[in-house]
Amino acid sequence: MRSYQTNQIIEQLKFNNGLTWAYSILWLILSIELQPFSFSLPLLLIGAVNLGFSFIHQLLLYRVRQSAFRADRKTAVERSLAALMIFGIVTGNLFTFISGIMAFKKSLSTGLIYSIYMVLVDMMIIAVTSLNLFKPFVTNYYLVGLSVLIITLVYHSLILAFGQKIYSWNPGVQRIALGLLLLSGLTGNLLVFLVAASFYADNQPYSKGKRQTSIREKLTRNHAALLGLLFISFLLTLALTSTFTFSYSFAVQNDYANILQNPSIQYPFGTDNFGRDVFTRIVYGSQISLSVGVLATAIPLLIGGALGAISGFYGRQTDNIIMRLLDILYAIPGLLLAITIVAAFGASTTNLIIALSLGYIPSYARTMRANVLQVTNLEYIDAARALGQNNKQIILKHVIPNAMAPMIVRSTLTIGTAVIATSSLSYLGLGVEAHVPEWGNILRIGSQYLETYPYLAIYPGLAIILLVLSFNFLGDGIRDATDPRLN
Amino acid sequence: MKKEDINKPAAYRFLVSEAYKTASQERHVSWGLKLLSFPFQLLVLIRYLFNKHRDESKRLISIIEHQFEESGESAELKKELLRQEERKTAFLDQSVSRSDIEKNAEHYYQRARQREIKKRIDDQYRKSDIRPQDFLHETTSWLREPLGFLLSIILGFPMYLLLWVVSVPVIRYVANRLVAMLFVIVGVTVIVFTLLHLSPSDAALNILGEQATPQQVENFNQVHGLNDPYVVQLWRTVKGVFTFDLGISFEGNERVVATIMRRFPVTLQLAFFALMFSVTVALPSGIYAAVKANTTFDHLFMFIALIGISIPSFWQGLIFILTFSINLGWLPATYSASNLASLIMPAVVLGTALMASVARMTRSSTLEVINEDYILTARAKGLSSKRVILRHAVPNALIPVITIIGLQFSAMLGGAAVTEQVFNIRGLGSYIVNKQFVPDIPSVMGGVIYIAIALSIVNLIVDLIYSFLDPRIRSRIKNSQ
Repeated sequence: MRSYQTNQIIEQLKFNNGLTWAYSILWLILSIELQPFSFSLPLLLIGAVNLGFSFIHQLLLYRVRQSAFRADRKTAVERSLAALMIFGIVTGNLFTFISGIMAFKKSLSTGLIYSIYMVLVDMMIIAVTSLNLFKPFVTNYYLVGLSVLIITLVYHSLILAFGQKIYSWNPGVQRIALGLLLLSGLTGNLLVFLVAASFYADNQPYSKGKRQTSIREKLTRNHAALLGLLFISFLLTLALTSTFTFSYSFAVQNDYANILQNPSIQYPFGTDNFGRDVFTRIVYGSQISLSVGVLATAIPLLIGGALGAISGFYGRQTDNIIMRLLDILYAIPGLLLAITIVAAFGASTTNLIIALSLGYIPSYARTMRANVLQVTNLEYIDAARALGQNNKQIILKHVIPNAMAPMIVRSTLTIGTAVIATSSLSYLGLGVEAHVPEWGNILRIGSQYLETYPYLAIYPGLAIILLVLSFNFLGDGIRDATDPRLN
Repeated sequence: MKKEDINKPAAYRFLVSEAYKTASQERHVSWGLKLLSFPFQLLVLIRYLFNKHRDESKRLISIIEHQFEESGESAELKKELLRQEERKTAFLDQSVSRSDIEKNAEHYYQRARQREIKKRIDDQYRKSDIRPQDFLHETTSWLREPLGFLLSIILGFPMYLLLWVVSVPVIRYVANRLVAMLFVIVGVTVIVFTLLHLSPSDAALNILGEQATPQQVENFNQVHGLNDPYVVQLWRTVKGVFTFDLGISFEGNERVVATIMRRFPVTLQLAFFALMFSVTVALPSGIYAAVKANTTFDHLFMFIALIGISIPSFWQGLIFILTFSINLGWLPATYSASNLASLIMPAVVLGTALMASVARMTRSSTLEVINEDYILTARAKGLSSKRVILRHAVPNALIPVITIIGLQFSAMLGGAAVTEQVFNIRGLGSYIVNKQFVPDIPSVMGGVIYIAIALSIVNLIVDLIYSFLDPRIRSRIKNSQ
């Protein structure tokens, strides 16, 4: 019988094994240069080193799967293999990094697992930000910003290394450590809050040996959802810090000396037909995509949720009127409704957000109504009424909190759809204003140079896919975590 | 034998009057019935007013009320309710004034009294032959007599159509859905028209340019009826949607509906191929993934499906063109009606999202069904694994999949706008997008409305298929009476 922790390590290694091999092979494929056929030496080298790490990973997986393996009594060989794998991060291989730390640590808590991803976000941000060093100039705040990021990374690494022993520290130090941790969350690193919440919960008396039932705890078993969360946090941090560390002029100012450059170290994704740096444009595009995605989800979540709750709780005529009116809205495909609104009021970011929100209201209302109908038939609502609570108190305190889980899942998935819809409309020329660096706008230019400069269309597309994929992974993960049948 | 023949019409009349009684229990149906047989109801009304003074029931009610007050039960009930109210306030620790408590108690008393009296009256009715002389009773008694029945057919025959629709559950369900669809179509028209009407830009100046003379502007507004008040324009549009006449477009002077009808088949053809492609790929692979749950194939396939949901269709289209048209040269990059091969890429691109969500849905619903007890029974009977899956699991698993297809079809017709732009297909979607740049209000409006109508019809069909496939819904419809 394997312990829970042993199983956790095996699952993680199994999940990462295929990914690290795929990652290594990706580098090898990228190193091939067609016309004339040759290999790019640096890329080939990275690929080879990664292959080495993948080999170690495979070896460790093999050892771990033996029945003799015990997570709490690892042999020296296993520990050194795990320690070696952590250095995979140098070649950008985050999968061996995750596996390495998981296999190296003596005991695994929820907080530790989130800390691994938290540190990864910091590393990725610093790596992306340092690419600016190859630019002709940087912003005034660049050095300050970069040092803040590095300090954050150091602090987070310390938390990763020692945070699990938080219960043995004295209360004052605990409070300061958690406070500093929360402060570092201002960079946009969402995982910081999960780490802080986990350590705080672990630190409570009687928390040892408790069954892990919260969404936060169950999510750690879903590796794909964690990778999604990693990328979302990365992009959010990038969106927030880019204002200080990336020069906006590269994204919007025309530079006719450098038109349609191929990708190089100075312009990692090349330049477009006005000589603007596509890399910086994509980084700034994340601000628009994330804010439109989040707003176009939050507004219908509130309005649709409220309408659905009222409609489900009061039933009868109220329900009939609200749902029939929303049926009308539901009959118009979201994209066409957006086109109609843009045709009437012109293309702008505000109109885009309103248009997308309007289209999502009916589906939120339907979900909320179904949940509320289910909840209102339960005994505790009758109990609340018997205790003399009025409708408003019952709705706010008992109905809505218990009907929220499917809404959270739906909103996570909708952010992805909203990101796609935003870029689709911008691609058609109906979304964000054409001069704003937005992923759809970048792609629109890219589509004109598809034959000659395909990278202009490929990179922004990859950014969209990765972001949407991450939200879908996370949404699926939350759905599994909240599904009572899977417990 | 002969006796039965005589009784047959009587039995039939009785059936009709019973159906009328049941149907009248719903208020809106009852009003509909009265409206449709107005001349007949008028006759009934005259007789009813004439007979009213002979009503026995009024007297009965007053006797019972009197009894209730006299016997002291009334005062007892009042006291009991007041006591309950006091105990409640004491228990909940509320500070309520004495007069409020009494007011509440009085309120509850009035309700309880009405309930009690109604109960006693109903008891009396059941014991004696006296019936309340209301209008409904009068009507049904007319329907039971041969002469009255004949009169009702002659004077109020449209009523029988409604009665038939209301009394047969399946037809009633279909009729309800049709009415709901009509409501949605009118609603969509109102919303789209209002949104476009609220536009702050001046259509005439947009089309004619800044240099247009006042005369030209006036003429333009006259031709397109833009000077009329909102309600008049709205009415004209609603009427136009049903009579297929939405006037002429702002630009190019063409009939809007004629252009839409010319372009619609292209979009429908594209959507149809996309649907075919996605369903033929998604169903077998979704079922296979469910049967082989948690294997490498399952994980890989579900990952691909998730990518299918996450990929923006215009980017997928661009990458397809880059790979299959520019680099490999296998397929044409743009659509032409004569070449069916040029439809492959657009159909695949448009169908990807649908394929992915159908595959995911098929997998999860098949997985759910496979764990049911009756599948275990089927296996225990010794059926082959193939037969268990294909005969017992799949048909039940397909029910939610049909809903998903119906819902996703809406996203697909909307998404057609993007796909058509990428592959340069002259369908309805790209028509709306191109006209929106002008902005040519009647064309955009017509396109959006007719797509919404097409979707409503598709959803109606899906709903009907769904309800006839699913025995649970079928029985719910039958029992709804």
